[in-house]
Amino acid sequence: MESNKKYWKGLEELNNTPEFVELNKHEFAEPIPIEDVLSGTGLTGKTPRRNFLKTLGFGLGAVSLAACQKTPVHKSIPYLIKPEEVTPGVANFYVSSYNGQSILVKTREGRPIKIEGNPGDILGQGGVNAQTQASLLELYNANRLKGPMQDGGETAWSALDSFVKNELAAIKASGKQIRIVSSTINSPSSLRVINDFIAQYPTTKLVNYDPISLTGIIQANQNSFGKAVLPRYSFDKADVIVSFGADFLGPWISQAEHMRQYVSKRSHQALEGKKMSRHIQFESRMSLTGSNADTRIPVKPSEEGVALINLYNAISGTSLPGSKKLSSAAADTAITLAAKELVAAKGRALVVAGSNDVAIQVLVNAINSLLGSYGTTIDLDNPSYQYKGNDAEMVALLNDMKSGQVGAVFFLNANPVYNYYQSSAFADALKKVRLRVSFADYADETASQCNVIATNSHFLESWGDENSVEGYYTIVQPTINPVYDSRKAEQSLLVWSDNPVKDYYTYVRNTWNTNILPQAGLAGQNGWETLLQTGFVKTTAKPAGTYTFSRDLNAVAQTILSQSAKVAAPVGKLELQVFESNTVLDGRYANNPWLQELPDPISKVTWDNYVAIAPKTAKDMKLEEGDVVKVTANNYTTELPILLQPGQAQGTISIALGYGRTKSGKVGDAVGKNAFPFLAFANGTFQGNTVATLEAVGGDKVVLAQTQTHHSYEGRDVIRETTLQQYLKKSEEKGEKEGGEKETYSLWDEYDRPQYDWVMAIDLNACTGCGACVVACNVENNVPVVGRDEVRRRREMHWIRIDRYYSFDEKGKNVTEEKEIDKLENLDNVSVTYQPMLCQHCDHAPCETVCPVLATTHSSEGLNQMTYNRCVGTRYCANNCPYKVRRFNWFNYWNDSRFENYLQNDYTELVLNPDVTTRFRGVMEKCSMCVQRIQAGKLNAKLQKRPLADGEIKVACQQTCPTNAIIFGNAKDPNSEVSKALKSERTYYVLEELNVKPGIGYQAKVRNREAATTEA
Amino acid sequence: MRKFSLLLKQFSRSVLLVAGLATMGLSAHAQADVAKGEALYKAKCTSCHKLDQRMTGPALGPAITSETDDKWLTKWIQNNQALIAAKDPKALKIYNEYNQAGMNVFTELSDGDVANIIAYVRTEYKKMQAAPAAGAATGGAAAASDTPSSFMIFGLLAVIVIAFIVILVLNRAIGTLERLLLKRKDLLPEETAETEETVAVDRFATVKKLAKNKKLVFFFVLAGVLTMGSWSWVTMWNTNVHQGYQPVQPIKYSHELHAGVMKINCQYCHSPAYKGKNATIPSLNICMNCHKVVKTESPEIHKIYDALGYDPSTQKYDTTKARPIQWVRIHNLPDFAYFNHSQHVKVAGLECQKCHGPIQTMKEVYQYSPLTMKWCIQCHRRTETGFKGNAYYDNMIEVHERLKRGEKVTAAALGGLECAKCHY
Repeated sequence: MESNKKYWKGLEELNNTPEFVELNKHEFAEPIPIEDVLSGTGLTGKTPRRNFLKTLGFGLGAVSLAACQKTPVHKSIPYLIKPEEVTPGVANFYVSSYNGQSILVKTREGRPIKIEGNPGDILGQGGVNAQTQASLLELYNANRLKGPMQDGGETAWSALDSFVKNELAAIKASGKQIRIVSSTINSPSSLRVINDFIAQYPTTKLVNYDPISLTGIIQANQNSFGKAVLPRYSFDKADVIVSFGADFLGPWISQAEHMRQYVSKRSHQALEGKKMSRHIQFESRMSLTGSNADTRIPVKPSEEGVALINLYNAISGTSLPGSKKLSSAAADTAITLAAKELVAAKGRALVVAGSNDVAIQVLVNAINSLLGSYGTTIDLDNPSYQYKGNDAEMVALLNDMKSGQVGAVFFLNANPVYNYYQSSAFADALKKVRLRVSFADYADETASQCNVIATNSHFLESWGDENSVEGYYTIVQPTINPVYDSRKAEQSLLVWSDNPVKDYYTYVRNTWNTNILPQAGLAGQNGWETLLQTGFVKTTAKPAGTYTFSRDLNAVAQTILSQSAKVAAPVGKLELQVFESNTVLDGRYANNPWLQELPDPISKVTWDNYVAIAPKTAKDMKLEEGDVVKVTANNYTTELPILLQPGQAQGTISIALGYGRTKSGKVGDAVGKNAFPFLAFANGTFQGNTVATLEAVGGDKVVLAQTQTHHSYEGRDVIRETTLQQYLKKSEEKGEKEGGEKETYSLWDEYDRPQYDWVMAIDLNACTGCGACVVACNVENNVPVVGRDEVRRRREMHWIRIDRYYSFDEKGKNVTEEKEIDKLENLDNVSVTYQPMLCQHCDHAPCETVCPVLATTHSSEGLNQMTYNRCVGTRYCANNCPYKVRRFNWFNYWNDSRFENYLQNDYTELVLNPDVTTRFRGVMEKCSMCVQRIQAGKLNAKLQKRPLADGEIKVACQQTCPTNAIIFGNAKDPNSEVSKALKSERTYYVLEELNVKPGIGYQAKVRNREAATTEA
Repeated sequence: MRKFSLLLKQFSRSVLLVAGLATMGLSAHAQADVAKGEALYKAKCTSCHKLDQRMTGPALGPAITSETDDKWLTKWIQNNQALIAAKDPKALKIYNEYNQAGMNVFTELSDGDVANIIAYVRTEYKKMQAAPAAGAATGGAAAASDTPSSFMIFGLLAVIVIAFIVILVLNRAIGTLERLLLKRKDLLPEETAETEETVAVDRFATVKKLAKNKKLVFFFVLAGVLTMGSWSWVTMWNTNVHQGYQPVQPIKYSHELHAGVMKINCQYCHSPAYKGKNATIPSLNICMNCHKVVKTESPEIHKIYDALGYDPSTQKYDTTKARPIQWVRIHNLPDFAYFNHSQHVKVAGLECQKCHGPIQTMKEVYQYSPLTMKWCIQCHRRTETGFKGNAYYDNMIEVHERLKRGEKVTAAALGGLECAKCHY
């Protein structure tokens, strides 16, 4: 599995630019100017005797004064009446639900401090994505409103209620329309509340508005099969997956679920069965999904439709009118080959497209029908309710508001003044509405245009329920009393509609008692309590029916072609695709510092969006990385920096949505630029493709806070990968080890391991690079957020990072030397490998030997321990760490006013994990393998007088990983999961030639790349 | 003072006992069996009633003494619910007065049993009423004649101190006068001046002589350096060590009384020490388990009531008046040290006293142990791990082999000295 393939993290590394070489010489970006001090003016400058004495005197005085400080008196304030379930120092876990996934919320002394997946959850099965992890911080958002607001001033709920009720009565009398604008609601109780509200005010209508919508798929299913639903996809049943721009491992529909399904066909269990799914991706931008594909073919947005028509032709053997060849011959061949593979895997194949165009989705339905996917890999009978948005309704709302027909509008989890494609038109029309109510929990762009803000409670403060997919109901349970004078939106609607049930909790219970609990054979108080133990109710799934597509496709093909022609760029222009950000999604999480500092999985950029462009296109346009350009499309212009993105289709650019918020709060405001106005409303849906002009602005370059080459290995061989064919061949020749056992010598003594040897196995084939582990680690270990400027100085504090490596496909296989790079026509054919990198807990740790104060030592359990209170900050250890995983606290991030927006106000700091020290300025820190969890797990077993079970202790990154890429456990137990995983023939240790004996074994990446398509 | 009042109590009790026995002897056979009544009273009534004080239910002494309708009383005691159901006005009045908290039903008591109880309550209450009057009469006189008050002691001490200071000042004055005399020789008689001079010369000579002895000088310098050195070493070493720290607490809670005299198990109040990290200062609802009834008159206990917003006369809580009690924390570990009580108390089975000292004798708690890392480590080095009966250690083969070899397996041998056991 070793190869001479060149892996590189960024173009600067590939091209070995002087800046990169210079930066890479040092562990820290800004070295201490010791040389200057010693050689230059430092020592020659005169220090008069008087000054010296003054300084000395001041120093002595200051030290003695500081020492005179009285020992502070600590107060200890017990509960007056302690709740029975709370034991100070012992965490409680409660089930709740977020984004339709059942979760467990860890609380300490009554405050939630961590969210983990519920192992019983049917979507993620214990895994959750980065956003769910980070949603905890929204509770502690310092920006939240302290109570209800009216006309920009604070008010009381009673006054607010009477005002709204009077207004509603007047509007009802006038016969004007009432609208509730909400992002997808799938909560059975919320829907009932809204129906009750509609019964009271019959002119009310619910408008489902998803800023990044999937209306195209829903309507296509309506057109094709008469079912207006979002299907549930089963990537775990598909042997061949062909995706046209669908980022299904990213934010598309159901991230954690898709990741789990997808990887179950590719992880070590699948490989043991000598099988692996095959994934081909056609896309214009490099997406998270595309980066994981076995074969990825860059295609312009305007050619996506044509490519699909060609695929349909190739599978069906017919020829739709208007079919034409693609501009790239390689892509054409790839389509033909993909068609062959799909047909061969009939019944086990799946084609998905990310486009929101109805016509394209209809064609995809036709292809899937030909492949027999319905009933196998696509389930229309147990649909998903995660997205219900109807774009046309939203456009109609704007027109209704303009014409003055709307008397009242309610915004629930919707922020159209920011994320509607014609936001200013929407804001203007909104002014014509008499009663504008927002249920936001802070004054966002829309709420600040409303005359009433009925401050909503956070989901961790309120009761509720969710129904993300057919037959799966989850309960939202509060884990803390509302911190502020907020009220659940549904409660407000109940009050305003004079509902006989005054209390939303009772309302939710009624919903469950009558509609949901009986479906699972539960009833009454017992049933309810069972629910609060399990967190969800699952009913037997309906059998997935097979559906046959029987409509005429000629008109569909015509629509696709005409739409494609509209977004095809003429000479001098570029094709623009906007996409949902991998971190802040549609901007909902813009004020979440954990997510802002989470590097984008592909570009590794934090705290910004940018124009991603293919290096070749940029070169042609004489643009360089960091150049600020003016992007103009759809009568909207914005200025953004350029990012050279290998793998981006030539002649295209892409921009992430979700940035450029103006009223999200201190953290998210003015981060990046808003790209929503680049969306267009075409053929009844919002579409993200358009034609844009790019114009260099000139002036200073922008340095993006990009972490990609921050911790580089000078081109050392750290990645191993192979193809499925080679892997199978190798495993057949088992027993013949290359070169035999190498003899190694060691300078160090071996450590005793009387009880445990904690190690990890990380399967590179299972890691999709999503970054959920990074956020989970931040939450668990109180890792500070440092902000854009500090990231630019390479001072991000993440204990675990995901290294993203590019390598050339076979086409560039000869490129091993830098001088050959120029021979490459472009950087289209790159493949991506992810590697989670964290402290390797080496048995012969180089950091331990150099620490002058023994602040980092080895434990008898195989851990490399970092003792903060001992560290004096010499940073030798970081310099000596071959894996570059040690982080230095340059500041007191917890109380330094320069970092005032992150986790240091009295309220937001409640999110800290009390079992982990917050680190002081001047000390090193690094992954501790969640030693607090190890200790707690062992103690728990001791208290219960039983041996520690394997898998009982889960570290934070492992716990959240939806694909189980990380396995942690005791290597001394030969039957533990981790011991078994490490026995895999794919296991290798990073930089094992240094003989530092790392404790983390990686399983080499396997790509299912058959010769045929790869050569294309 | 306390001793005295105890004596007084005992005395008045014995007086009362004699008086009581006499009255009992007289009235015993006449009406009902007071002794039987007492037994029944203690078994059935005391969990909710007291004779002279309102508890969950009314104070029985005055209630039963003032109520003359024994038939009604019997009915009420046997089945108060029936009376309430029958809308008996008297019954309803009591029922409503006590927040409609129904009294237990005692249908198992016969009319005779109830009569016994009533007899007991009435006689006992009579005795009680007689007792405080007698106590008050004798009490006042005794207080003055008995032990000296603290004021007296402090006064005496102050006199001694002042006298001492006066003596010192006088001495100084004498010294100054003498020095003045020395300066102005004319004021002195000749011969005295001479002797003084010779004495002064002599003194100097010895000092000079000694100063010439290099060995002696060296010895003194060395001794000085050593003393100063060790003093500053100890001072620095003990910086931030608060052994013996005994702050004044907002409530004069005595561990001596509760844990020592009353022998209440530590777990009763500090149960979290057996479950998790913190031993915790108990919440006030735990105090109220007993102090709803016990020592309700004490001003210290009233601090608890005030904190809870509890009114002992109505037995109601007013949460708006509640405010937490701010205890002063005595045992402070630095934030970077993780300590878990349950690991030590439950797993290792240590006595609380091992670290907290003779807590059962402390009127006010002080920090017994230094709580330094050295102190932790010493114990980890010396204490053998108790494996027996804990299946957690069952499959630790290496540990067992060490034990077989006859080695001592201490906490340290299992990694108890490693940094990340406490610092993370």
